[in-house]
Amino acid sequence: MVELLFEDIFTLTRLDPDGKKFDKVTRIEARSEQFDMSMQLDVNTEVYPLHVGDKFTMVLAPTLSLDGTPDSGYYTQGQRKSLADKFEYVMHGKLYKISEESSGPNVKVELYASFGGLLMMLKGDPSNATNFELDQRLFLLMRKV
Amino acid sequence: MMQEKLRCTKEPYIEDVGPRKIKSIRFSTFSGEDIRKLAEVQVWNNRIYDLNLKPIENGLLDPRMGAPNRQTECATCHGNFTDCPGHFGYLKLILPVFNVGYFNSILNILKCICKGCGRILLDETLRKTYLKKMRNPKADILQKNALMKIIRDKCKPCRCLRCGYANGVVKKARSGLYFIQDFSKTADPSVEEFRSALSHTKDKTSFQVSHVLSAVAVLSLFRKMLDEDCELLNLYDRPEKLIVTHIAVPPVSIRPSVIVDSGRSSNEDNITSILKNIINTNSILREDLEGAAPPFKCLDCWTHLQIQVVEYINSEAPCIPDSKHRGLVQRLKGKQGRFRGNLSGKRVEFTGRTVISPDPNLKITEVAIPILMARVLTYPERVSNYNIEKLRQLVRNGPSKYPGANFVLRPDGSKVHLKYVDKRDIANELKYGYVVERHLEDGDIVLFNRQPSLHRMSIMCHRARIMPWRTLRFNESVCNPYNADFDGDEMNLHVPQTEEARTEALMLMGVQNNLCTPKNGEILVASTQDFLTSSFLVTRKDTFYDRASFSLMCSYIGDAMDPIDLPTPALIKPIELWTGKQLFSVLIRPNANTRVFLNLIVKEKIYSKSETMCPSDGYVYFRNSELMCGQLGKATLGNGNKDGLFSVLLRDYNPHAAASCMNRLAKLSARWIGNHGFSIGIDDVQPGENLNQQKRKKINEGYRECHELISSYSKGQLTLQSGCNAAQTLELKITGVLNQIRSTAGNVCMNELHWRNSPLIMSQCGSKGSPINISQMVACVGQQSVGGRRAPNGFIDRTLPHFPISSKTPAAKGFVANSFYTGLTPTEFFFHTMGGREGLVDTAVKTAETGYMSRRLMKGLEDLSIYYDQTVRTANGSIVQFVYGDDGMDPAKMEGKDGIPLNLDQLFMKVMATCPLREQDTLSPAEILHTLDDRLSKYDTTPEGGCSAAFKKMLSDFLHKHAAAFSNIRRALQLDENHVQKKDSSVLESVAANISGISAKQLQVFLETCIFRYHSKKIEAGAAIGAIGAQSIGEPGTQMTLKTFHFAGVASMNVTLGVPRIKEIINAAKNISTPIITATLVSDRDVISARMVKSSLEKTVLGEVAKAIKIVLKSSQPYIAVKLDMERIEALHIRISSQSVQQAILNHPKIKLKPEHIRVLGNNNLKIYPPEADRSKLQFELHSLKAVLPKVIVKGIATVERAVINNTNGVYNLLVEGTNLLAVIGTPGINGSKTKSNHVIEVQQTLGIEAARQCIINEIQYTMRNHGMSIDARHMMLLADLMTYRGEVLGITRFGISKMKDSVLMLASFEKTAEHLFNASYNGRNDQIEGVSECIIMGIPMQLGTGILKVRQRVEQLPELTYRPDPIIC
Repeated sequence: MVELLFEDIFTLTRLDPDGKKFDKVTRIEARSEQFDMSMQLDVNTEVYPLHVGDKFTMVLAPTLSLDGTPDSGYYTQGQRKSLADKFEYVMHGKLYKISEESSGPNVKVELYASFGGLLMMLKGDPSNATNFELDQRLFLLMRKV
Repeated sequence: MMQEKLRCTKEPYIEDVGPRKIKSIRFSTFSGEDIRKLAEVQVWNNRIYDLNLKPIENGLLDPRMGAPNRQTECATCHGNFTDCPGHFGYLKLILPVFNVGYFNSILNILKCICKGCGRILLDETLRKTYLKKMRNPKADILQKNALMKIIRDKCKPCRCLRCGYANGVVKKARSGLYFIQDFSKTADPSVEEFRSALSHTKDKTSFQVSHVLSAVAVLSLFRKMLDEDCELLNLYDRPEKLIVTHIAVPPVSIRPSVIVDSGRSSNEDNITSILKNIINTNSILREDLEGAAPPFKCLDCWTHLQIQVVEYINSEAPCIPDSKHRGLVQRLKGKQGRFRGNLSGKRVEFTGRTVISPDPNLKITEVAIPILMARVLTYPERVSNYNIEKLRQLVRNGPSKYPGANFVLRPDGSKVHLKYVDKRDIANELKYGYVVERHLEDGDIVLFNRQPSLHRMSIMCHRARIMPWRTLRFNESVCNPYNADFDGDEMNLHVPQTEEARTEALMLMGVQNNLCTPKNGEILVASTQDFLTSSFLVTRKDTFYDRASFSLMCSYIGDAMDPIDLPTPALIKPIELWTGKQLFSVLIRPNANTRVFLNLIVKEKIYSKSETMCPSDGYVYFRNSELMCGQLGKATLGNGNKDGLFSVLLRDYNPHAAASCMNRLAKLSARWIGNHGFSIGIDDVQPGENLNQQKRKKINEGYRECHELISSYSKGQLTLQSGCNAAQTLELKITGVLNQIRSTAGNVCMNELHWRNSPLIMSQCGSKGSPINISQMVACVGQQSVGGRRAPNGFIDRTLPHFPISSKTPAAKGFVANSFYTGLTPTEFFFHTMGGREGLVDTAVKTAETGYMSRRLMKGLEDLSIYYDQTVRTANGSIVQFVYGDDGMDPAKMEGKDGIPLNLDQLFMKVMATCPLREQDTLSPAEILHTLDDRLSKYDTTPEGGCSAAFKKMLSDFLHKHAAAFSNIRRALQLDENHVQKKDSSVLESVAANISGISAKQLQVFLETCIFRYHSKKIEAGAAIGAIGAQSIGEPGTQMTLKTFHFAGVASMNVTLGVPRIKEIINAAKNISTPIITATLVSDRDVISARMVKSSLEKTVLGEVAKAIKIVLKSSQPYIAVKLDMERIEALHIRISSQSVQQAILNHPKIKLKPEHIRVLGNNNLKIYPPEADRSKLQFELHSLKAVLPKVIVKGIATVERAVINNTNGVYNLLVEGTNLLAVIGTPGINGSKTKSNHVIEVQQTLGIEAARQCIINEIQYTMRNHGMSIDARHMMLLADLMTYRGEVLGITRFGISKMKDSVLMLASFEKTAEHLFNASYNGRNDQIEGVSECIIMGIPMQLGTGILKVRQRVEQLPELTYRPDPIIC
C-alpha cells in the first residue's frame, strides 16, 4: 500500500489574498482541521472551480501507483489503476524549499512545492514535516467533501 | 655539386642574409650630398613631355625614376609598374633655402650661437657642465629637450667670448621666411653714435639696426659650428643639413601623371606641378645670377624660390596665402593622410558589405551569407587526401555555379583562373599540395563587424551559412554587441585566409567566447525584444497546454533533431495539462542526457513581495533546471545582468551550454510568437473612463498646488531651500509637483491597464518601453525640459506670446497635460519640439566628441599589456601596475557585483541543489568552520599560491554567516546548537537538516569549486588590457546623455556630469567647470558649528559687514571711515574684528597701503588715510579707495564661490563650490583627513600623486554611476595609473601622450604628424618598433596578445658574456 506523506481535510478560507492576477489560476488559502496546518495553493480554477467555504481532502503522495512503487520521474500514459482514481484534482510537482518561521512562540515549518509553477505553501508544526525531503517528487490530490 | 655562377666583376657582391625584420627606425636628415648620391637622375628640365607625349630626359617624369604606367618599364631597374618601387631624382638649387619644417629649430640654434664665429654663446665652464648633462646616457628625450630649452634661455645675445662679435637678438622676420638680427637692444657704442648722427637729419624715417640672416649666411654659420656645440643643442647631425640645398625628387609612382583628352595633354600630380615651378624659378634665378641682373631682382627671385620650396614641403604654412596644391606634409597628416589613412589602417581583400536582417532560426554563432557573396569571397583550401574529391567537384563547378571555386594555385606558384580554362582538365590535374580558392561554404570562419567599432565585440567571428537572397542575416540575440538594428543597417564581412588566422579568430573572437563584455563582466549576447516577450507570456502562471500543443511547442525548441523527454504534466486530473513553465524546463534541459543543472534566483521587475510566493510571480527560481516559479523577463534572459540565466549557464557550465540554450530559446520564441501573435493597436492606448477621471483630478490638484506656490512666491512668502533664492526655490518646487503628476498618472495607468495590453506586457518583461512611455501615450506627456529646466523664455519674459508676460504656470512653461493619444495643443506641441530638438542636437554633438575621446584613450592605452610576471607594462617595458587591478583578475570573468570574482550565494545554492544531502549527516557549525580553516591553509589559497586576501576573507565571511544562520535555526528548534546528532535520530533533527544543513561532502565541493573557479579567473599574460580598458571607458561615453545632475541632497548645486565631465578628468584639465570640495566637519552632528565653518569658508567682503564706508574730508587730513556692523557679524557667526579687517586691507593686492595708514579705533571703527601724494590727486585717491574697499575680502577663501550645508540623516557636511583645497583643509572645524575635492590637478598639488590617482578613479566612477553605467574598477585604475605613473598627472591629450610615449611613429600617427617627424629628425630619434601603432605601421606582428610568445631556438653553445663595451671594429 502506498504511504501517504500527508493527508487532511481543509476548509477554504480565502481566494486570491493579493487580488486577482491571473485568469485561469486562483490562489487559495485554506486551513486544515486535523493538524491545524495553513496552506496557500495555486489551483487551476478554470478546470476545477473552488469557492470560499468549500471543504476538501488534500493528500500529498510520493507516487500514484497503488503498490507504492516509487515514481520514476517519467510520465507513463494509459489508464492504469492509480491513487488518482479516487480524487477529482491531481497535480504533480516538486518540493523545492523547507524553511522555518519562528515569529510566534512555537516554531512552524513551511513546505514549498511547485507544480509546474502552481505553488503550494504548507505551514504547520514541524512534526508534520518529517516525511518530506528536498527535491522530492510530489503528487497533490484533492477531493471535495 | 652546385655550379659556381660566373660572376661579373662589376657586379657588387651582396651577401645573402636571409629574411630580415625591421628592428628600429632612425630619423635623420639628408645633406645635399646624400640626396645626390641616392638619386638616379638629376632633374633640371622644366618640360615634362615632348611633343609625342614621351617623358623628357632630366624632366620630372624621367623614366629612370620608375615606370609611370603599366605600359612602360623603369629605365633604371627594368622592372614593370608593379615591381619597381621607383627611384629618386635630385634637383640642385642654385641658392640654399630654409626648410619650413626646421624653421623654428634653426631659430633656436641661431639664438644660441655666435653669429660671428658659430660657437655657442656660453662660457667654457657652463658649456662643459651642460655638455656633461646632455651626454648623460640615462637622460631620456624629454629631459634632453628640457635641457636644450634651458641652454637656449641661458644663451643671451652678448659679445662673443671667443671672437668678440657683438650679437644681436635673432628674430623671425615679420613677413617672409628669413631671420633678422636686431642690434637695437645691444649696448653697442657704435649704434649710439649712429643714432645721434642720424638724428641730425631732417628725415624722420625710423631706422632699424638690424641685419638680415639669409639662408646662405646661416648655412655658412652652421658649417662653422663645432660638433660638440651641436651636441649641446641636442642636434643629432650637422646643422647645415637643416637647410635645403638639394631637393630629392620623389619617384614617378607616387605622383602619377594621367594622360587625358585622348593623349593630347596630361594631368599632373600636385607634387609634380610644384616641382615644375621650382625648376622654373631655379633656372630663372640661375640666369639672373649668371647674367648679372640687378641684385633686387635676384633677391625677389630667391624669395620666390624659397616660397615654392615651402609650398612643396607644407602648402599650409602661414607664409603661403592660399595654395591650391597639397605639399608633402599634407600627404602625411590628417585622417585621410598617409599615417592614419594608409599605414595605420590598410585596405583588405576578401570582404563584403550589405544590409542585415534578422533570422532567429540561425544559431547565435552563425551568419547567413548570400550566395552572391559566397561566390566572390573565397578561401584557399589546400588539396589533401581528405578533400581532393570535394575540391575536384568544386573546380568542375567553376566560378559561376555556387559550390565552386575561382582559382587554382599550383605548387610552382602559377595561378589559374577557372573562368578561362577547361575546368575538367584542371580538376583532373589536381594533386596534393595544390591550393584551390573555393567559394565560401557552410561552417567557414568569417569575421563580422559593424561600425562604429567601439569595443572588441563589434567585430566577432561567426560561422558562415550560405543562403539565398541578398542580406546578411544573424540571430537577434547578437544585436547587442554590434549595437545593430534592422532599419537598414549594413555590416561588413571579412574572410581570414589562413588556417592560423581562422583558428585565432575562432578562439579569440568567436561569438561563444565573447558572450560577456570585459567592461564589467555582464552578459552581452542575450535574448532581446520578441524573445523576452514570448518567454514572458509562455511562463505566465495561467498558460496551460494539452498534450498536443505541448508536444508541438517542444518540437519548436529544436529542429526536430534532438530527443526530448516529455515531463509529467503538472495537472493530471481532471485533464492532463502542462504549464508554460514546464515548457521552459524542457527548453533548459531537453532530455536526461543533457547534463545541465541550472540553479538560479532572480528578482524580476514585477516582483513585489514574499519571495517565491510573490503574488505577481516575479521571483524566478530555477532548481536543477526546473523552473519552480517566476515569470521570465529581461532580468533573467536579457543582457546587462550578471546573474541571469545565460550568465549562470556560462559560468557554471560552458559557453556552449549558454549558446545552445540561446539558440533553443530563439527558435521557440520566434515560432511561438508567430503563432500567438503580438501587435499593438489604437485600443491599447485608449484610456478608460476611470483613468481619465483620475488623471483629471491629479492634474487639477497639481495645478492648484502650483498656483498656490506661485502666489506665495509673488507675495514673497516662499520658504527658501538651502542655497537657493526665491525664484530657484519656486522652480524646484513646481518641477517637483509636475513630475509628481506625471508619475502618479503613470502609476494609475499601469494599474488600470488589462494584463493583455501589449505595451504593458512589453514594459513589464523589459523587451521595449518603460512605464513612462506608456503613460505618455495613454495618460500624460508631462513636463518638457530644455537644458534641465522648464521651457525657456524665447520672447520677452515669456515662452510664447500665447501666455501672459512672466507667467510661471505649468502650461506656460512647457507642461504637456495631454497624452499622445488625445493629441497635443499647439503650444504643447511647440514645447515638445523644443525638448525633442535638444535631444537631437545633443546626439549629434556627442558622437563627434566621444569619438575623439575614444581615439585619444585608445592611443594612450593601446600598448599596455599583462606580462608573465603579472605586471602591466607599456611596450618599452616600463611598469604601470605591479598587479593588474590589485588582484590580477579578468574583468570579463567577474561574477559578483562591483567586480567581485564570485557570487558565493548563487554558487552555494547550486552546490546544495546539485549534490543533495540524502543520507549523509550534517556538520555542526564548529565543524564547518574547522573544515574551512583547514582548506584555507593549503598552498593554493595563500598569497604565494595566487589567492588574494580579499577573496579569502569573502569566503570565510560567507561561511561564518552560514554557520551562524544554522545555529540560529537549531536554537529556534530547541536543539543543541553545537552538537549535531544523526539525521534520523529525531523529527526536529531531520527538519533542521532539511532547512539548512550542510554535509561534509557538500562543504568540500563548495570550497573546491570556489577555489578552482577563483584560480581560473586570473587574467592571462599578454592580454591587451590597455585597449580593453580604453574601449570600456570610451564605449559607455557614447551612450551618455548630456545633462547635469543635481548634487545628492542639495538641490541647487549642480555638478557637470556626462561626457563633458569625463573629458575634463581624462584631459586632466587645470580649470574644471564645477569644482566642489566635500568637507567633513569635526563635529558633524551640530548645525551651529557647521554654520560657523561655512561662514569662515565663504568669502565675506567688507561691503557686506560694514555699516558705512564714508569719505571724511577734514582740513587736516582727509580719510575714509569704516564702521563695522557688529550685530550682523555676530548673527553670521563670523569672527571679524577691526584688526582682522586692517590685515585684510593690507593684504589686498590692489591697495598699496602701509600699516600706519590704517588706524584702528576700538572694536568696530577704522580710519584709512590715503598715502602721501600731492593734493591735486587726493580726491581721486580717496574715491578710488572707496570704490575698492567694499570688495576687500575680510574673511573666507577668495576662490570659494559658496558653501552649502548638506544634511544626510543627521550628519552634516559642507559642499564647497570653488577651489583651494589647501585652505579648506586648513580651516578650523574641518576634518582635513576626510575632505575630498573633485579637482584632480588640485588634489595632486595638495595631497600628492597617489591621492590624485584615487581621485581620478573616484571621479570617473562617480560620473559613470550617475548615468547608470557600471564599469569594472580595474579599467579605471589602469587609466588612473597611466595618467599618474610618470609622477605628474598627464592628461590623455596630445601633450600628455607625447610625454608618456617615446615612439615617433606612434605620436606622428596621433596628432601633429609633421611636427613630430621634423623634431625627430632634428634630434635623430630612434624608434624601436615596439608599440602597437608602430608595429601596424611597419606591418610587423605586435608584442601583445598572442604576439607575446616567441619561438626561440636553443643554441648549442651559449655565447660568452663580456662585461666590457663592444669593440668599435668587429
